This record gives sequence, structure tokens and C-alpha cells, in this order.
Amino acid sequence: MWKFSLRMAKDRVFIVAVSAFTILTVYPLLHIIYSVARNGLPVIMERGPTFFTGGMSEAGIGPAIAGTFLLVLLSSLIGLPIAFLVGVYAYEYPDSLIGRTTQALLQIMLEFPTVLVGVFVMDIIVLPMGTFSALAGAFALAIIMMPYVAVYTKEAMRQIPFTYREASFGLGVGRVKAIFRILVPLAKRGITTGILISMAKVAGETAPLLFTAGGLYESYPTSVTEPVGAIPLLIYTLIQSPSKDAHSMAWGASLVLLIFFLGVFIPIRRSLKVVRL
Amino acid sequence: MYSRVADRFRLITSPAVFFVFILFCGMLAVYFSNAYPAIRREGVHLFLDNTWRAAEEPEEEYYGIAAAIWGSIYTSSIAILISMPLAISYSIFVVDCAPKRVKNVLIITSDVMAGLPTIIYGIWGVFVLVPFMKRYVMTPLYEHLHFIPLFSTPPISGFSYLSAGVLLAIMVTPFSSAIIREAYQMVPFRYREGAYALGLTRYEATKVLLGYIKPAIYSGLVLAFGRAIGETVAVSLVIGNSFNLTPSIFSPGYTISSLIANQFGNSFIYGHMRPVLYAAGLVLFLIGFLVNLAGMFILRRWKKNVEI
Repeated sequence: MWKFSLRMAKDRVFIVAVSAFTILTVYPLLHIIYSVARNGLPVIMERGPTFFTGGMSEAGIGPAIAGTFLLVLLSSLIGLPIAFLVGVYAYEYPDSLIGRTTQALLQIMLEFPTVLVGVFVMDIIVLPMGTFSALAGAFALAIIMMPYVAVYTKEAMRQIPFTYREASFGLGVGRVKAIFRILVPLAKRGITTGILISMAKVAGETAPLLFTAGGLYESYPTSVTEPVGAIPLLIYTLIQSPSKDAHSMAWGASLVLLIFFLGVFIPIRRSLKVVRL
Repeated sequence: MYSRVADRFRLITSPAVFFVFILFCGMLAVYFSNAYPAIRREGVHLFLDNTWRAAEEPEEEYYGIAAAIWGSIYTSSIAILISMPLAISYSIFVVDCAPKRVKNVLIITSDVMAGLPTIIYGIWGVFVLVPFMKRYVMTPLYEHLHFIPLFSTPPISGFSYLSAGVLLAIMVTPFSSAIIREAYQMVPFRYREGAYALGLTRYEATKVLLGYIKPAIYSGLVLAFGRAIGETVAVSLVIGNSFNLTPSIFSPGYTISSLIANQFGNSFIYGHMRPVLYAAGLVLFLIGFLVNLAGMFILRRWKKNVEI
């Protein structure tokens, strides 16, 4: 005979509550994807290929797409080499004073509010140059990208079993050769995924571009010292405009951004065990 | 021992490390030096007053950023309060209840949410979340409970501390739940066995096991708070951007980051506004820095205890 017991009842309530809250945690993402697809798809369908290639007057976001690619490319050129070296350094000297300080610094930079980076770059690049530029935007993105790449590099290197390290030094090659010719190639996969995730991350950043990139939506960018647009920045501007047309265009641009992001992020994420963002 | 002179490795990597250090120090220097005039001009009142008088005459200008500081802390606190039960339940479900495939899907979903461009949260917040909150949460609460100070502002636009807090909660839950889930997974299996061997129900066993990872829960929430306070575009789109210093969660407000995002562009017209915004940035940095430091400290101490 089943008897009512308070303990069992509590247990049931608990399990139902946990499941409900879990659904509530991930439900927003489904709703976001649904809303973006529902509002964005009709805009893209209606305008066709011009949406991807045309300028603002043709109701297209071509220059913004080009701008985002240009910014990610430039910021990678600036940020990746430095971040990679810092990551390798942090791996090689985890316990020295500088090594520990570097790791603490990377942590702080990971959490640094991105809008502050934008303001900082405006002060050191935009004001002296007298104009917004792709270079300034890319530098701001590079600052945001660096700690991610460095931490990913360090973590990927730490995954290599210690015996490989012993073996490579045992060959009698110098430290430079042992690390850059043997250990780094061993961690290549982890480092590459880290780099790709960081690039996907900065491609979606808005705040650091607010006071650095300037925006260019009529024609394609031609020079790195001139203002440039970006998809997130364009969406931010469009949302704040009162016109309905601008809003639907913002949804269309959001769909493009979302597809880019999911297209890069999910395959990488599936091939990786741990992700830190 | 390697001879220091011959260590080409240091020679190659040190410039990069040095560059990052210089960059960081430069950043602090820029903020301190640019904020200094504002702090000298207005002193402590800059942070304690709620006035925003931008005037053409520089002598007339007077700024107090108390409302923005309040807004930042308030919205992030709302976010954490909402995020706490969600993150804990999610971790319990993923570790204890979910079958392997569901588990993987849930973890990937959470990671996607952590990395999703914030502007997408922003556009969803403006056109979907805010109207929803206004119609189904704020209006009924105001109609029936407006005598409570928390709900005392009529929800005219829906842009408010509450909307910003809810959106932030959605955005930062993946960060706290990642930390809590990892910690919950690390609870030694024998404790689990022990709990069930005592005949505890799942609820009772979980309660005991959660006690074990309490520090990790705190640090997850603290780190999420740090994330929330630095968030810019999504918040500035839904918070309503007006200077209010009130406990009413339906009132539109400002946060430090949305203040900077909104005002920095036109601060050049005014004589004294720019240093004020740098000072606000400095406050934002300091709050975030302290909060993150605390979170990492708790987590590190706990991890050390666990390993022993």
C-alpha cells in the first residue's frame, strides 16, 4: 500500500522544480533563435541578394559584412601573435613571479568591461588621428581577443602529457626549438580552436566599436585609416532609430550575425571538451 | 640550469608579455589621468549626487553619477537573484538527472548562450522581452501591488531596471552555471553513495551535496555579477536611460556602462563632461575588479581544500 509521505512529496516537487528551472534556463535561446529567424527571414527573402551586397540606400548590409570581416582580420593580425606568445610564456613559467602576474593580468583583462576598452582606444588612437578608423576598431577588438587566445593557448599546451616535454628536452634541443617545434605543434588543435572561438567572439562585439570604428554603411571600406562599419554596430544603430524599416533591417542583420556565429561556434564547440568564455 | 644569456625563449616571448603589461598600465593611466579633473572639481559629490546638468556655460555644468552607480549595482543584483535558482537547478539537472545525450545538448546550449553576440540579446530584449514584461509582469503587479515601493512606478514604456535585470539574468546564467556545474561534478562519488546509502531522498541528498560546493556557488554568482555589471549594449537598449535613483524596479534608469555608451559620443561639446565619464569608467572598473577578485579568491581557496 502506498502511503503519503511528506519526504516523498518534497522529493517530487523538487524534481519538477529542477526540471522546470532547467527548461527556463535554456528556453530564452530557443526563443531568441525563433524570433530572429521569424523576423529576419522575411526581410532577407524580400530583398534577396542585394541584402548581402548592397549599401544602405539599397537596403543592404554589404558594407557592414565586409567591415566585420576586415575588423576581425585586422584584429587577428594585431592580437594573435602577441597573445600566442603570452600564452606560451604563461605555460612555460607558471610559477615565476612574472608568470603568475601575467596569469592574473589575463584574468583581469578577460573580465574588463568592453566599453572601457573602446573609450581607451578612442583616447590613444582616434583622437590623435582625428578620425574613426578600421585600425582603431581592430585594435580595440585585439585587446579583447588577446586574453582569450592567451588563456586558450596556455590551457591547450598544459594538456600535453609531461613525458613529451621530458622527451623533447631530452633530445638536447634548446628551449625555443623544444617548445615551438615540438610542443606547440602537439597542441595545435587546441590552440586553433581557441583562436577560432576568440575570433567568433570578437566578431559579435559591439561596445568596443562604439567610439572607434565610426561606421560606414553606404560604400565598401577601402582604407584601414578610414571609418568602417560592422554588423553588430549597424544593428545597434538601427534599433535606436524610430523607423519600422530600420527595425526590420536590424532583424535581418541579426539573422546574418546569428548564422555566422552558430556556423562557426557549434562545429568548434562539438570538437572541444571545455570552453571558457 | 639554463644560462640566462642564452635563453632565446625569453627573448622571443618577453616583448609580448611586456606589451600586454604596458597596455594594461596604459589603460589605467589613461583612465586615472582623464578622470582626475572631474574628481578634483567636484570631489566626493561626483559619486554621491544625482544630478546631470550639461550646460553650454562650463561654470553651470554639474554632474553626479550616483544614479548610474546605483543602476549598475541594482540591475546586476536583480540579475543574480534571478540567475541563482536557474543556475543551481541547471547544474543539478545536468549532473544528476539528464541522460547523456540531453546532457550534451544542454551543455552546448549553455555555451552558445555564453558566447552569443550581446547585440542579439539586445534586439530580442527590446522587441520581445520588454513588451512581454510590460504586459504580463509589470502591469498586473503595478495594478494590484503599487503600494509596495518596489512596484510603485507606473510601467509606461516597459524599459526599466527589471527588464534590464531579467535580460542580464538570461545572459549571465550560463557563466555561473558553468562554474557551479563543474564544481558539482567534482563532488566525490563516495559522498553521493553515502548520502543514498543513508536512505536520503534525492532532494535531501542534493541538499547535502550542495552544501559541499557552497563556495563554488558563491564564486559562480559573484563572477556572474562581474559580467553583468560590465555589460553594455544589451542593457543600454532596455534600461530606458534616464537618471533615477529609486528602489522601484519598474522605473527606467541608467547604468555606468550605458551612461558611457550614450553620453561619451557627445561629451566633447561640453567642458567638463568627458572627465566625469572617465571617472564613471574608473568606478565601473574598480567594482568589476573587486568583485572578480573576490570570486576568484573564493573559488581558488575552495579548489585547494578539495584537492587536499
